[in-house]
Amino acid sequence: MTPSRLQARILSNREKKKGVFLMELKAPGIARSARPGQFIMVRPPHGSDPLLPRPFSIHDARDGSVSILYRVVGRGTEQLSGLGKGQALAVTGPLGRGFPIRAGNYRPALVAGGMGLAPMPFLAKKLAALGRIPKILYGCRTKGELLGPSTLGAVIATDDGSCGRRGLVTGLLEEELCRAGSCRVFACGPWAMLRQVSLLCQKSQVPCQVSLEARMACGLGACQGCAVRGVHGGYLSVCSDGPVFDSRLIDWEQEPPL
Amino acid sequence: MRSNPPGRVDTAVILAGIRLKNPVMAASGTFGYGTEYRGLSPASAYGAIITKTVTLEPRPGNPPPRLCETPSGMLNSIGLANVGVDRFLREKLPALRNAGTVVIANIAGRTIGEYARLAGIMDRAPGVSALELNVSCPNVAHGGVAFGVNPLTASRLTRAVRRAFRKTLIVKLTPNVADMAPVARAVAAAGADALSLINTLYGMSIDTARRCPSLGNVTGGLSGPAIRPVALYHVYRVSRAVRIPVIGLGGIMTADDAVQFLLAGASAIQVGTANFIDPATPEKIVKGLVAYCRRHGLKSLRELTGWLAG
Ligand SMILES: Cc1cc2nc3c(=O)[nH]c(=O)nc-3n(C[C@H](O)[C@H](O)[C@H](O)COP(=O)(O)OP(=O)(O)OC[C@H]3O[C@@H](n4cnc5c(N)ncnc54)[C@H](O)[C@@H]3O)c2cc1C
Ligand SMILES: Cc1cc2nc3c(=O)[nH]c(=O)nc-3n(C[C@H](O)[C@H](O)[C@H](O)COP(=O)(O)O)c2cc1C
Ligand code: FES
Repeated sequence: MTPSRLQARILSNREKKKGVFLMELKAPGIARSARPGQFIMVRPPHGSDPLLPRPFSIHDARDGSVSILYRVVGRGTEQLSGLGKGQALAVTGPLGRGFPIRAGNYRPALVAGGMGLAPMPFLAKKLAALGRIPKILYGCRTKGELLGPSTLGAVIATDDGSCGRRGLVTGLLEEELCRAGSCRVFACGPWAMLRQVSLLCQKSQVPCQVSLEARMACGLGACQGCAVRGVHGGYLSVCSDGPVFDSRLIDWEQEPPL
Repeated sequence: MRSNPPGRVDTAVILAGIRLKNPVMAASGTFGYGTEYRGLSPASAYGAIITKTVTLEPRPGNPPPRLCETPSGMLNSIGLANVGVDRFLREKLPALRNAGTVVIANIAGRTIGEYARLAGIMDRAPGVSALELNVSCPNVAHGGVAFGVNPLTASRLTRAVRRAFRKTLIVKLTPNVADMAPVARAVAAAGADALSLINTLYGMSIDTARRCPSLGNVTGGLSGPAIRPVALYHVYRVSRAVRIPVIGLGGIMTADDAVQFLLAGASAIQVGTANFIDPATPEKIVKGLVAYCRRHGLKSLRELTGWLAG
């Protein structure tokens, strides 16, 4: 599926939690062809500073619109957060390799840490459509940071125990992996979490797909800027070989590629 | 300003023996091997495509992170990651030469011998119209910028490649010197048909939260609008120092930027970082150049080159 680029109108842009926004964009072409785990590049609108477009996971796609769930962390996301309904943004997508989802007799476990929740609703929806109701395991630091988990029916872990289990989301995953029946893991979150998830899955011989982040320029596999080291030596491009990878392809000993 | 009847504006330029339908070329390393932008930007919008630098052996490139945004610019430390000449010829060139535009291969080597061998291979490669020698990469330990800072070395290298390559030979120069003119003159005297300038400027950024360099390779090359005035200065200077055509690049985003480079003395221009920001940049620039000529009563883009007198 080749990506397209358009000036997409903002349908809504609301603060869901302090510093976290949900933006819905009118982009029928992207909405139609998007697969869970793929991303879009959004260019902050003001001049040449900030310069590069920013990558965001597709949070949901339906009825001609795509949405992103984003945290304000710097100048680009700051600008995005100030935009309102009716304004237009340059958007390119869908980009990258998404989560491979197929029918079959397995239990999908979706493991999300922090903003790693962003691609999960779309993934959960598509899995459910295949008759694979996923279990969502969701971890973050504290109750105040939870992003609308009630709607997703997630099992929760917080670092400080203010909601759900006290501890890391990988603790929830360990229990999940102990249960009988074949399981498949789909994970998105910080590097350290993904490394641990990958390790646990490898030990239990459970297939595991992880969604990675890297700084990007082209988003298309042209500039070689978004490299992450693979297990076989050499580098993979997060934007075009990923962002979703079979966790066994990644060299988890490297410094996080951000 | 006198307005022209909306007659045809001739966008074609003849650059050291090759005819380009327009003077806008894709800069090396920012347009991959010409097919990655499929669906977003037709390669045929460009007057020519310059490939990512190709080396004899495949190169993995530098450790990540390889990119870092800076005010109106970006640093990269890609390190000439590329598939190597064998795979380039087998897997990349066939599609590229059918992309509907002129193909220029950009090459680099660790030694003069490697450059010459690569040039010989490219000389026989079907569909490669010209060579651009990268003697200006700031991100590799051996070769790269080392060949481009010393007039004598640059001239030896150019001469060796000239013997191995019969078609149009372009040498891409680095701005990381006190004065670009001596290297430019030396390279021209050694048989280069044209010059491209500028490659990226040395640069650095530090992550203060982690107290470490933002790039895995510590330093990188700066590109984008931030370097445009520097690039324009060098194009202005160098085009007055040599008789061969100069191809200008560095931070070009719009037709107006392109006009500035042509007026300063460039015969053609390249678009690099702008591909990341808007893949439709080449079409927009060509359209804008035509509109500019109409507004100013010019029949050909060639009339712009070097308008600024000595
Ligand atoms: C495939 C992918 C999907 C993503 N999905 C989401 C998402 O759904 N929600 C969300 O909140 N964030 C997501 N991110 C991270 C998001 O791209 C960054 O938070 C954002 O680029 C920060 O931009 P800024 O200008 O606010 O920050 P600044 O720090 O000012 O950005 C400076 C530069 O660094 C880059 N950068 C900074 N942080 C990151 C990062 N974590 N990953 C990649 N590049 C970064 C920026 O793109 C920019 O070029 C995703 C990243 C990738 C690679
Ligand atoms: C990500 C990236 C990769 C690059 N790779 C190469 C390369 O392989 N060979 C080369 O000669 N120049 C390379 N360049 C330099 C560009 O071709 C160009 O000289 C420079 O970026 C200035 O132009 P710009 O400001 O329009 O980008 C690269 C630049 C960038 C940003
Ligand atoms: S961002 Fe350019 S190759 Fe991935």
